[in-house]
Amino acid sequence: MAEAMADSYSQDSEPTTRTLLRRVLDTADTRTPQRRRSAGIGAQKSLLETPSSRRLSSSTKTNARRRSQRARSIGRLAHVQTSGHLEEQTPRTLLKNILLTAPESSIMMPESVVKPVPTPQVVQSSRQESIRGSLELQLPELEPPTTLALGLLAPGRRKRKLRLSVFQQGIDQGLPLSQEPCGNTSASSLTSSLNLTFATPLQPQSVHRPGLARRPPTRRAVDVGAFLQDLQDTSLALASPGNSLRTPVATLPTDTVLEDTQPFSQPLVGHSPSVYHSLPCLSYTEAKDAEKAVSHRTQRSGPKLQNHSPVKPAQLLAGKSKKVDALAMSFPNTSSAIAGEDEVEPLQGGVGENAEERMEESLSVSEVKDTTGTQGSVRTDKSDRNETSEAVEAKEPEGSSGDENISGRTASPELASSTTEFLQARQLQFLESAPPPSTAILSSEPLEPLPTRLPPRARTLGPRPRQDPHKTGLNHYVKLFSFYAKMPMEKKALEMVEKCLDKYFQHLCDDLEVFAAHAGRKTVRPEDLELLMRRQGLVNDQVSLHVLVERHLPLEYRQLLIPCAFSGNTVFPAQ
Amino acid sequence: MAPSTTVSQRKKIKRKAPRGFLKRVFKRQKPHLRLETSGDLLVHLNCLLFVQRLAEESRMSAFENKCGVIKKEHVQAAAKRERGRKRGRQRI
Repeated sequence: MAEAMADSYSQDSEPTTRTLLRRVLDTADTRTPQRRRSAGIGAQKSLLETPSSRRLSSSTKTNARRRSQRARSIGRLAHVQTSGHLEEQTPRTLLKNILLTAPESSIMMPESVVKPVPTPQVVQSSRQESIRGSLELQLPELEPPTTLALGLLAPGRRKRKLRLSVFQQGIDQGLPLSQEPCGNTSASSLTSSLNLTFATPLQPQSVHRPGLARRPPTRRAVDVGAFLQDLQDTSLALASPGNSLRTPVATLPTDTVLEDTQPFSQPLVGHSPSVYHSLPCLSYTEAKDAEKAVSHRTQRSGPKLQNHSPVKPAQLLAGKSKKVDALAMSFPNTSSAIAGEDEVEPLQGGVGENAEERMEESLSVSEVKDTTGTQGSVRTDKSDRNETSEAVEAKEPEGSSGDENISGRTASPELASSTTEFLQARQLQFLESAPPPSTAILSSEPLEPLPTRLPPRARTLGPRPRQDPHKTGLNHYVKLFSFYAKMPMEKKALEMVEKCLDKYFQHLCDDLEVFAAHAGRKTVRPEDLELLMRRQGLVNDQVSLHVLVERHLPLEYRQLLIPCAFSGNTVFPAQ
Repeated sequence: MAPSTTVSQRKKIKRKAPRGFLKRVFKRQKPHLRLETSGDLLVHLNCLLFVQRLAEESRMSAFENKCGVIKKEHVQAAAKRERGRKRGRQRI
C-alpha cells in the first residue's frame, strides 16, 4: 500500500506539500501511534515506522534533491517517530494542524522563484516557519539534523510544529508574514533555503528573545508608563511610608545597575562613596531617573541620581513604586522568573503572586528590549529588586513580619549602595552582595564588603621592592623543594636549602667546565650535561637522558631537546 | 608543519625553567665559558632531579627523627648524604 501510494505520488509533478499532506491524510493507513506503542518495541515498531516513513517521504518526494536527504531523514524519521510516540498526538493530527495553521498565502507568494525549486522549498519554509519557534525554543539541539531532513521529518516535526504552532500563533499574531517570502525566495539547494528560512524567522523571534536583538526602547516606554501608573495606584493604596523609603532605594540600584550593564556605562567612581552615605536620601527624583534610565537606557540617569540626592521621603513612595515597576518591566522573563522563584519562597503566596503578575507584565515589555549583556546583570539586579519589591509588598499586605522588614531594609540600603556603583566590576560585587540581603544580613555587613572592594581598585601600586634576582631564582628551586618534601618546613630549613643549592650550582659549573675542557671545547654542550648526569647516576643504560627529559620537563622543552622528524624531511632541533 | 622554537598551542608553561637565571649563574661562575641554548634546559632538569633527591632525603631523615616538620638538621644530613653519594660516583 505504501508502495502504491508512493507510485501514485511520484507520478505527480511537483505537488505542493499541502496537497500531498491532504492526500496522505485521506489515504493514510489507520495505523495509529497507539497501535505502534502497543505493538511494542523493536521489530514491530520499525516495521510500522518504515512504511509510514516511506509514505511520508514519498508524499514529499517531488524534488530529486531530497532523495539524498531522504535516506538521512528516514533514519531520523524513525527516531523522531519513536520519540513522538511518547506523545498523544498522531501524525494525522499533526498534519491536520499543519494544514490548518500553515497559511496558504505563504506557499503561493513566491512566484518569482524558480518553480521546481521553490515548491518544495516553500513547503519546507512554511513548515520551518511554524517549526522555527519550536526548534529554537524547545529543541535547539535538534536543529542541525532537522535542517538536513526538514521535508522528511514530518511526524516529529509535526509534533514540534503543533506545539509551537499554537504557541507561535499566539505570539506571532502581530508579526508580518513577510518572512515567509523571504525564506521561500531562497534559491539553489534545499539546505540553503532551509538555512535561510531558519535565519529569517529568527528576526521576528528576536522580538521575544531579548538576547538576540535589540529593540528601540520607545515601545517599552509606553507600556512602562501605564504599568507604572497601575503600580503607583496599588502602591499608594498600601500603607507605611517607611517602606517607601526602602523601595526607592531598592529600585535605584537596579536602575543604576541596568545602566551599568550598558556596554558604555560611564564610571562614576567619585559618586559611589557619596552614594553610600546618601542611602536614605534617595529621592523621588531618583525614582524618576530610574524610570528614565529604564525607558531610555542611558547612563545619564546615573549622574542624575546622584545630583538629586536630597529628597523627601514622602515622594519616595511614588518613586519607588514606579521604579519597581520600571525595573520589573525591563528585566527579561527569565530573570523575573528566577526572582519570582526566589521571592516566592521567603514571601507568602499572596505576595509572590503579585510579583509574578508584575513579572508577566514586565515580560511582555522586557522582551522587546534587553540585550544579552544587560540581562546577566539585570537578572541579578532584578532578583534583588524583586526581593525588595516583594519585601515591600509583603510588608504592606501582611503587616510585615519582622524578618521581612529586616530583609527589605537590609536589601534596600544594599541595593542603594550597589546602585551607586557604575562599573561592571561593581555590578559583580553587587551581585555578590545581593544574596546576603535575601538572607537577612545586617545592613552594615553588605556595606562593608562593598567599600572594601573599592580601595583595591583605587589604590595605585607602589614601586615593588627590588629583590635580588639571584635569590629570586634560587627561591624558585626552594619552592620546588618544599613541594617535593610534602611536609611543613621551618624557615631555617629553607635557608639551608638555599645554601645547598648554591653549593650545588658551583659544583655543577665546575664539572661542566672540566667536561668541556676534556672535550677541547670552550662551550658547554648538551653532551657534557649528559655525561654529568651519567656520572651522577641519573642516566644509565636502562634510563637514557631522553627518558628523563620526557618525564620531568614540560612538552615545550622536550620539543627543544629531543630531535624529532617533521614533514619536509626536516629534523628539529637540527643535529 | 614547520618546526619552531616557540611554544605551540598553549602559551603558559607550567613549571617554567628560569633560563635567564641559569644563564646568569653560569656566566658569573665561568665567564670564559659559554653555555649552549638547550644546555640550560638540561641544567634545569639536573636541578629538578637534585632538588627531588634532596627533598626525599630530608623527608626520610625527618621521619627517622619522628618529626612532623622538616628542620635544618634534616636538610643538612640529607645534603651530606648526597655529597657522599656524588663523591662516591666520581670514582667510576
